[in-house]
Amino acid sequence: MTTAAIDWGQLFELVWAGALAGVGVSIAFATLILGATRAADHRRADRGRVASAYVVLGALAAFAFAGSVVFGVYVIVSK
Amino acid sequence: MSSDVVLVIVVATALVFDFTNGFHDTANAIATSVSTRAMSPRSAVLLSAVLNFAGAFISLKVAATVAQGIVESDDVTTTVVFAGLIGAIAWNLATWYFGLPSSSSHALIGGLVGAAFAASGASAIQVDGLVQKVIVPGIVAPILAFTVAGLAILIAYRIVGRLRPGPVNRAYRLGQLVSGSMFSLAHGTNDAQKTMGIITLALVAHGDLPADSFDVPTWVIVSSATAIALGTYTGGWRIIRTVGSRIIKMDPAQGFSAQGSGAAVVLAASHLGYPLSTTHVMSGGVMGAGAATRLSAVRWGVAGNIAVAWVLTLPAAALIGAVAYGVSSIFGSGALGPVVVSLSILGVVLAFFGRRVARGQVLTADA
Repeated sequence: MTTAAIDWGQLFELVWAGALAGVGVSIAFATLILGATRAADHRRADRGRVASAYVVLGALAAFAFAGSVVFGVYVIVSK
Repeated sequence: MSSDVVLVIVVATALVFDFTNGFHDTANAIATSVSTRAMSPRSAVLLSAVLNFAGAFISLKVAATVAQGIVESDDVTTTVVFAGLIGAIAWNLATWYFGLPSSSSHALIGGLVGAAFAASGASAIQVDGLVQKVIVPGIVAPILAFTVAGLAILIAYRIVGRLRPGPVNRAYRLGQLVSGSMFSLAHGTNDAQKTMGIITLALVAHGDLPADSFDVPTWVIVSSATAIALGTYTGGWRIIRTVGSRIIKMDPAQGFSAQGSGAAVVLAASHLGYPLSTTHVMSGGVMGAGAATRLSAVRWGVAGNIAVAWVLTLPAAALIGAVAYGVSSIFGSGALGPVVVSLSILGVVLAFFGRRVARGQVLTADA
C-alpha cells in the first residue's frame, strides 16, 4: 500500500467528525427518552416544576436529534 | 447488430447487479429493526424498498463517478463493464449464500479492476485511487463504527439505565424506524446511481448518448430504481439473520446505537467526501454495540468470517471479473463472448438454486 496516496488530514477529520456525529446522535436520543420518561413520572407524582425541567431537557434533545436527521437528509439530497 | 446485442446484455447484467445489490444490502437498513421487533420483517422490507426507490430519484451526481480515479476510463469498454458486473454479481451471490454481509460497491469495483487488468494490463489500474477510495475506507469504516457504537451504547446505558425498560425499549424501537429509513434513503441514492452510471457509460460507448455531457435517461433512472427496490423487497434473509441475530443478541438500545450512530458516521463521512461502505459500518457497529457491554456477547467466529469476506471481496471479485473477460474474449470482440458467459452463469445459478428451491431450503421472511 502506498502511504503517499493516503490523505491523513482528511482521514483524521473523518475519524473525529464520524465519532462526534455517531456519539452525538446517540446521546441526543437517550436524553430525549430520559426527558420524556422522567417528565411523565414527575407529572404523575405532582412534581410540576421538576417535570417542566425534564420537558425542557427532552425538547432540547429532540431538537438536536431532529437537527441531525435534517442534516442527514440534506447530505443525502446534496450528494 | 453485434454491438446492439452487447449493449442489451450489459444493461440487463447491470440491472441484475442492481437487484443483487438491493437484496444483499437490505440487512444494513432492517436487520437490527427486525431483530429487536421494531418492525415486522415484511413491513421492514416494504419500507426499505419504497425508500430505496425514492432515493434513486434524489440525485445523479454519483452516477458520473463510477470507478472514476480507480480504472483508466480509456480502458473501460462495454465488455470490461460486463465482465466487471459478472464478478460483482458472482461475489454478491456467494457471500449471500454464506450469509456474510460484504460491500456490493467494493465487489463492483473489484470486478471492474479485474476485468480492466485482464483487458489492458496493470496500466489500466490507478493504484493510488484504489488505496484512497477503497482500501483505506474499507479498513477505517468497521473500526470507526465499532468504536463509535461501543461508546454510544455505554453512554446510552448510563443515561437511560435507571428508567423503566418498557418506555425505553418502545422509544428505541421508534428511533430505529428513523435510522433505518435514513439508511434506506441513502442506499437508494448512492447505490442505484452506480447502476445508472454503468448503463449510461455503456450507452455513451455505444454512441446512443453524447460523450461530452453525462445525462442519465429517464428510463435508466426508473429501471435502476425499480431493480434496487425489488431486490430490497425480496430481502437477503440469510444476511439479515447474520447481522440481526448471529453476531450478537441485541436489545433495542443496542440496535439503535449500532444503526443510529452508524447512519450518522456514514452521512458525516459522505459530507466530507469519504465513501464508507454502509455494510462495513453496520456490521462493525453491531459488533461494537455488543462488545462494549460484554466481550463474550459477540460471536467472534461469525465476526471473523465476516472480516475474511471483506478482505476477499476485492481480489475475489477481481479474479472472477478477469476470468469472465478472458472467457468472453476467447470468442472475439463481438456479442458471442458475453452471450456464452451470461448463459453459462445463468445455467449454474438455475441449476444450483433450482435444486435448493425444490428442496425447500430457501430462507424467507417467514422462516
